[in-house]
Amino acid sequence: MIALTEAFAGASIPAGAEEFRAQVKSFLAEKLPDRPSSARARSWSAFDAPFSRSLAERGWLGLTLPKQYGGGGYDAFSRFVLVEELLIAGAPVAAHWMGDRQSGPLILRYGTEEQRRFYLPRICRGEIFFCIGMSEPNAGSDLASVRTKAARTERGWLLNGSKIWTTFAHKSHYMLALVRTSGSAADRHLGLSQFVVDLTLPGVAVKPIVDLCGDDNFSEVFFEDVQLGADALVGKEGEGWTQVNSELAFERSGPERIYSSLILLDLWTRRVRRDSSEADEVRLGRLIARLAVLREMSLAITQRLANGESPVLEAALLKDLGTEFEQTIPQEIADAVAADPEVEADEDLMSTLAYLMQISPAFSLRGGTREILRGMIARGLGLR
Amino acid sequence: MAVENLLLDSFVRLLAKVSPPTAVRRAEADGDVADILGGIEESGFMDALVPESRGGSGLSLADAVPLFLAAGGYLLPIPFAETAVARAVIAAAGAQSPPGKTIVLWPATHAGRLMSQVGPLCERSSLALVQRGAEFQLLPITFGERRADPFRMRSARPEPDASPLAEFALPHVDLLHWAAAITAANMAGAMERLLELSLAHVNDRQQFGRSIGKFQAIQQQLSVFAERAVSARVAARIGLMGSNLTLDGRRVAIAKSVANESARASVSIAHAVHGAIGISEAHELQLYTRRLNRWQLSFGSDAYWQRRVGRSRLKSSDATGVDFVRTVIAGTEAC
Repeated sequence: MIALTEAFAGASIPAGAEEFRAQVKSFLAEKLPDRPSSARARSWSAFDAPFSRSLAERGWLGLTLPKQYGGGGYDAFSRFVLVEELLIAGAPVAAHWMGDRQSGPLILRYGTEEQRRFYLPRICRGEIFFCIGMSEPNAGSDLASVRTKAARTERGWLLNGSKIWTTFAHKSHYMLALVRTSGSAADRHLGLSQFVVDLTLPGVAVKPIVDLCGDDNFSEVFFEDVQLGADALVGKEGEGWTQVNSELAFERSGPERIYSSLILLDLWTRRVRRDSSEADEVRLGRLIARLAVLREMSLAITQRLANGESPVLEAALLKDLGTEFEQTIPQEIADAVAADPEVEADEDLMSTLAYLMQISPAFSLRGGTREILRGMIARGLGLR
Repeated sequence: MAVENLLLDSFVRLLAKVSPPTAVRRAEADGDVADILGGIEESGFMDALVPESRGGSGLSLADAVPLFLAAGGYLLPIPFAETAVARAVIAAAGAQSPPGKTIVLWPATHAGRLMSQVGPLCERSSLALVQRGAEFQLLPITFGERRADPFRMRSARPEPDASPLAEFALPHVDLLHWAAAITAANMAGAMERLLELSLAHVNDRQQFGRSIGKFQAIQQQLSVFAERAVSARVAARIGLMGSNLTLDGRRVAIAKSVANESARASVSIAHAVHGAIGISEAHELQLYTRRLNRWQLSFGSDAYWQRRVGRSRLKSSDATGVDFVRTVIAGTEAC
């Protein structure tokens, strides 16, 4: 327990990484002037391939990947700065997001030399985009019960099954999928493996799912006798569960688990600047104070990732707190803006607020539900 | 790093020896802290922030924060962190702190009223470092008629007519900042120990044929508690970032705001999982929760400090909340 509370030792961004910030800010100011706030609020849910490629041209995709594979060779804090600036500017980063954050580092760590040379330079050039195939119709929080199966054949693997809630599969080139290579759903985490699936292969069908805001970020992906090469397997057969878990600290500890509603907070702040009440000042201060603490925690985890550790438990704790914060912002601001029914609604603010009020329940579902994360923390506390 | 850990380890061993729950209760009952005060004073930790050139250990504030948290965790019934800071302030003014005396921080309005709804906890031998504007006075205290306040804690006030033991002016030191930041550190330390106490209880207590810690409903609540305890600790460290005896009011505001929010959740969950036994005086729980409730009222509530952060944000030229937070963490507030 003490170990957990002491796990968030102070960390700060090294000067070199901090200097990088100005470059990012000026690039974004030039590249993305005057977009509606409701578009900016979508940020890592907004797919814009040309924008992602413009980042690639600057060398900002695969920032932490080694230079020999086309990466930038920068440290984790530089990536923190880049991601932070992209998010607070509301840049549309979904196209490269999964490949940059997860699939690239995963292939670097577990892939063969051939796989690295094949995928990583193209990820860094923004030529290929990845989606992550985890959930299935009967495997949500209970991820170990996945049923999609890859069976060994003479030519490689034959893939059958389906994935659901996959973000932007219909716009991606590849899926990094967690599937079963032996046993059955009852065998849980044993017998799972990871594959790179080329989504243009025969037998792959992708169907977008429209969400409650009218966006089509999600999709359902069907595999019917999809013939994969032997080299589609990433890492070791049967080690999929361990491999997936090793990436969780990266997936759950970044600023994107804290910042999803900041476009709204900043928009509301500008409005309050013109005409503020004492209640508004208190409300704003409450949210900023929480933001400051959460950002320090994210930096502390970044330091530990940079040290080569895998603070999965701490990342779960931060993600639960961070997503709660992201969900609180639209609630607080809804209460504030409608406090006086005589005041006319501000259209830009209202459309951003409405988007976040409706989509924010997803923040504590994606990447591990609140209840699963709290179960992990309870295990860390020795209760399970 | 190793030296810091050695320091903390030896301080924690001392706390475990001089400030077990029985000693905390005794101090509450009759104000007798002689043994505790003797042990802590002898260790030299209360001179931690005084420069070596003036007979202290010259520890940096960052290195002292774990000591402050630990003192809060052990509910140390003497104003430890307050005395450490007061002695450093007095040394900075070139004055002398009387040995063997603890010192509470007493930020006052121009009219002389303490800037807190409840007084700082002190004991018979305490002095008060009173600040009005840039003027400081070190005064003896009086306990008055009442033995305890509505939280059944002993607090006192300075004797206004006594002649000061020291008098000086220091424009860059704000005792309200220090008092609130130290309160946040005490709270964070106490929350950690309260979490340990709660974990031990749910592992031990049996209902429905198993320990209640095996129930998801309990587990999920304690996970939230752990999140809050961690937040409070990170916040307390933010509050105590500073140099040259100057804290940044905005960072203090972050610390006290998050400490108060965290304390409310922690106290509520700790009592919920303890059930009826936690309401009894005999159980250790109340030693923590009574203080955590009282500290919420000490030196400004969350609303007071949140408003300060909010106003500062509105006045700042930073384009985004994140830019503002970076400025606040990295910088110093313009006086």
